[in-house]
Amino acid sequence: MSNTRAALSAASLLLVTALAACSSVGSSSPSADRSEDVGSAAGDVKDGGTLTMALSAEPDFLDPTLAGSFYSRYVFNAMCEKLYDLNSDVRIVPQLAASMPTASDQGKTVTIKLRTGVKFADGTTMDASAVKTSLERDLNDPQSARVTELGPITSIDAPDASTVVIHLKTPFAPLTAALADRAGMVMSPTQLKKLGNKFGNDPVCVGPFKFSDRVPQNSITLVKDPNYYDADKVHLDKIVYRIITDSAIRAANLKSGDVQVADTVGTDDVSSIKSDSNLSMLESSSLGYQGITFNIGNTNGVGKPPVQVDAPYAKDPRIRQAFEYAVDREALVKTVFDGQFDTACGPVSPETEYTSPAVQKCRSYDPDKSKQLLQQAGVPVPYKLNMLVTNTPQTLQLAQALQAMVKDGGFELKLQPLEFTTLLEQQDEGKFQVLQLGWSGRVDPDANITNFIGTQGSLNVAGYSNPKVDNLLAQARETQDVAARAKLYGEVQTQTQKDNPLIYLYRQRNLTGISKDVSGVQVYADGIIRVAFAGYTK
Amino acid sequence: MRRYLLRRAGQSVVTLVLSTMVVFAGVRALPGDPARALAGEQNDPAQIAAIRAKYGLDDPIWVQYWHYLQNSLHGDFGTSVRTGIPVSDMLKSALPVTAELSVLAMGLAAVVGILAGIVAATRRGTVAEWLANGFALLGLSVPNFWLGLMAILWLAVSLELLPASGYVPFREDPGQNLQHMILPAVVLGTQLAAVIMRQTRSSMLDALETDYIRTARAKGLQERTVIWVHGLRNSLIVVITIVGLQLGALISGAVVTERIFALPGFGKLTVDAVFQRDYPVIQAVVLVTATAYIVINLLVDLLYSLIDPRIRVAGEAA
Repeated sequence: MSNTRAALSAASLLLVTALAACSSVGSSSPSADRSEDVGSAAGDVKDGGTLTMALSAEPDFLDPTLAGSFYSRYVFNAMCEKLYDLNSDVRIVPQLAASMPTASDQGKTVTIKLRTGVKFADGTTMDASAVKTSLERDLNDPQSARVTELGPITSIDAPDASTVVIHLKTPFAPLTAALADRAGMVMSPTQLKKLGNKFGNDPVCVGPFKFSDRVPQNSITLVKDPNYYDADKVHLDKIVYRIITDSAIRAANLKSGDVQVADTVGTDDVSSIKSDSNLSMLESSSLGYQGITFNIGNTNGVGKPPVQVDAPYAKDPRIRQAFEYAVDREALVKTVFDGQFDTACGPVSPETEYTSPAVQKCRSYDPDKSKQLLQQAGVPVPYKLNMLVTNTPQTLQLAQALQAMVKDGGFELKLQPLEFTTLLEQQDEGKFQVLQLGWSGRVDPDANITNFIGTQGSLNVAGYSNPKVDNLLAQARETQDVAARAKLYGEVQTQTQKDNPLIYLYRQRNLTGISKDVSGVQVYADGIIRVAFAGYTK
Repeated sequence: MRRYLLRRAGQSVVTLVLSTMVVFAGVRALPGDPARALAGEQNDPAQIAAIRAKYGLDDPIWVQYWHYLQNSLHGDFGTSVRTGIPVSDMLKSALPVTAELSVLAMGLAAVVGILAGIVAATRRGTVAEWLANGFALLGLSVPNFWLGLMAILWLAVSLELLPASGYVPFREDPGQNLQHMILPAVVLGTQLAAVIMRQTRSSMLDALETDYIRTARAKGLQERTVIWVHGLRNSLIVVITIVGLQLGALISGAVVTERIFALPGFGKLTVDAVFQRDYPVIQAVVLVTATAYIVINLLVDLLYSLIDPRIRVAGEAA
C-alpha cells in the first residue's frame, strides 16, 4: 500500500505543480476524482498455481529483435529480462545490469556492468558476449524493429564476462531507456544459433518464467524457470496469456473467475468491476497519448523531404491554433471515456522526470478565440476539414464528439472512418488533411517526440519541419543531464505549440482488472502488466 | 454414377482454381500494406523494405501467385507475416476448433430444427406450433453477438454453470472441451435451427398434402410411420439443401461466435489475418474454406442422389 500512497502523493504534487503553472493558458492535469494504484509487491501468498491473464490483442513475434506489438511486451516481461527496467516511480533501474551505465568520452562510450551468476532458461550462462550478440542482432538484422531505438551505435565490445562497452558516433541520451525496453532483452546465443530468425517460435531468455507453448490466436503459456537467479521470489507455476479481444468479454471472464487479470478494461466496465467484491482495479497514468495530426508537408509520403501542402490550414498556423482552441479536452474525456482518462497537451507525461510547466502548457477551450483566429486567417467560416479516424466504436465516438465540439469554434469537420491498416497507408502516403491516432509512449521523451516532429522522423507523418525544433531535439538527445533535457523539451513544446502540427488530446490510463485472490500484480506507467512475481493469497 | 461423379469433381477443381485467383487478386487489391502493419509503431523504412523482400511482397503479382500455387500444392502455406508461425500449424490448430463447433452447432440445429418443424407441421393450431414458430422467429431475429453476450452473462457470470470462454482441445480433456463448446455451439446453431425448423415445417406441410401420404394413411399405416418414414424422408431433400446452403452462414456466424467466446478457430483466424493483412494466412484460410465449401456441396449432391434416385438418373443422362 505504501506504493499507492506514494503514487497518490506524487499525483497530488503534480496536480498542484500543474495548477500553479496555469497562466493565460491552462494545463493538462489528471482528474482529481480518480485514484492512482499501480499495485504492490506480493503479500502473503502461497507457492503454486496457474494465473490466467486476458490479453486484448495477440502478441506478434515473441522475438525481442522483431517484435513490434505492444502486447508482446506483456509476455516478455515474465520471460525476457532486460538490462534495465522501470520502477513504480517511472525511473530506470538496473535489471540484468549490475548498476546504471557510466558514460565517458563526452557520452560517446557507455559502459554497462552486468550481474554475475545469471543463467538463461536453457541453462547456458548470460554474460557480456551474450549481450553483445543480442545487441548486434538488434542492430544488424534487416527485419529488426530495434535499429532506430538504439541510436548511433558504432560498435560493441565485451572486454570481460561482466562488462559491455557500447561505442557511439554521437552521444545518445535515450540509450538507457531503450535498454529498459525490448532492445535491452538478452537472448540466449545458443538458441539464436539453433533457430536463427525462428527464435520467436521458441524463445529462450533470462526470466522468472520460460516459454512453454503457443496456440496461435488463443494462448501463450509460460512455466516457472528453475534456472532463474531469483527463483525464490517466484510463486506461480504457470502463466497463461489468453487472447480475448472484446473488452466486455474480458470483463465477463474476469467476473466469472476464468481469468484472474484482464488488461485494458473498457471505461464502461470500470464501475461494475469496482463494485464486484471479488475484484479490484489497478489504475495508472500512461506515457502515451492520443492526438490529432495535421498534414502540413507530407506531400510525397512519409520519409521523403517535407514539401508544403497547398491548403490554408497547412500554410497558416493560426487555423491549427484555432482548432485547438475549439477543443474542450475535459468535456471530451468526460463524455467519451467516462472521465477515466487524463487530458494531455503535450507528448511528455507528467509522470516522468522530464516534465516541466513549459512542456505541460495548454491552450484552454475558447471557441470565440477560435472563430477570431479563423477570421484573422481570412478563411471562410465554417472552415471545412476532412479527418481520418479508425473505425472502432470508441474512436468513432471520440471523433463525433470532436466534430460537434469544433463546430462551435467555426470548423466543419468531416469524418472518414477507415480500418486501421488502411489508415496507416493513407497516413504514410500523405493522403489526408487531419487524422486521429496515438502513440503508446516510452519513458524517454525523445522516443515520444523526435520521431514525430523531427524533420527526419520516421513517424513525422505531419511532414513538419522546423530547423529550430530539430536543433533543440538534437541537443536534448546529446545531453545527459535530466534537468537540462527537460528544459530543452519545454522549449520544443513552446515552439511546436505555435506551429501546431500535432494537437495532443488525452492520455489513456492503464486500467487493469484483477481478482482479489491474486496478490503482487503491478502496472507502472509504461502500461506493462507485471505478473511474474504474483501469487495466490493464502 | 461414375460419370456423374467425375463431372462434379472436374467442376469442383475448376471452381477451386478460380477461387484462389479471385482471392489472391482481391487480397492484394485491399488498401493497406502488410509490411507496414507488421512494422508496428516504429515505421522504420529499412525494416519495412526487409519485410517486403522476405515475404516476396515486392515481386510482380503473377510471380507471387505462381509461388503461392506451387507451395500450396506441396502443402506449404508459408509463415504468418505477423507471428512467424508456419501457417500450416495455425490451420492445424484452428481447423479442429471450427470443425467441432460447426458439427456441434449443425447437429444441435438439425435435431432441434427438425423436431420443432415436425411438431409445427403436425400440430397445427396448438400451443406447440406457436412455441415452435416463436422460437424460429427469435432464432432468426436475434444476432449472434447479442445472444453470445447474454449467454455468457447469464450462464457463466451469474449462474457459473459453464466457462465464459476459451478452448480446451478434445484430446486433452473431453469433458472440459464439451463444457467450453456447448455455449458457442448453441449460440451458433440457433439461427440455423430456426431456418431448419421453418423449412421442415413447410416441406412437411406440403408432403402431408400429397397423394402418397393419403395412400399410406388409407393403407392403415400408423400415423407415426406416415410422418417419420414417408413424410419426413421426402421433406428432407429440401432440408438437406438448405443445410448445405447455410454452411456459408454457419462459417460467417462462426467468425462472430469465435470472437465472442475467444475460440481459436478458423473464423477468428480469418478476421485477424484480414485486419493484419497477413496475406499467407488469408490465402490459406480461403483455400481451405473454398475446398470445404466445394466438398460439402459435392457431398450434398451425392446425398441427394442417395435419397432421391431420380437425381442420379438425371445426372447420368446428362
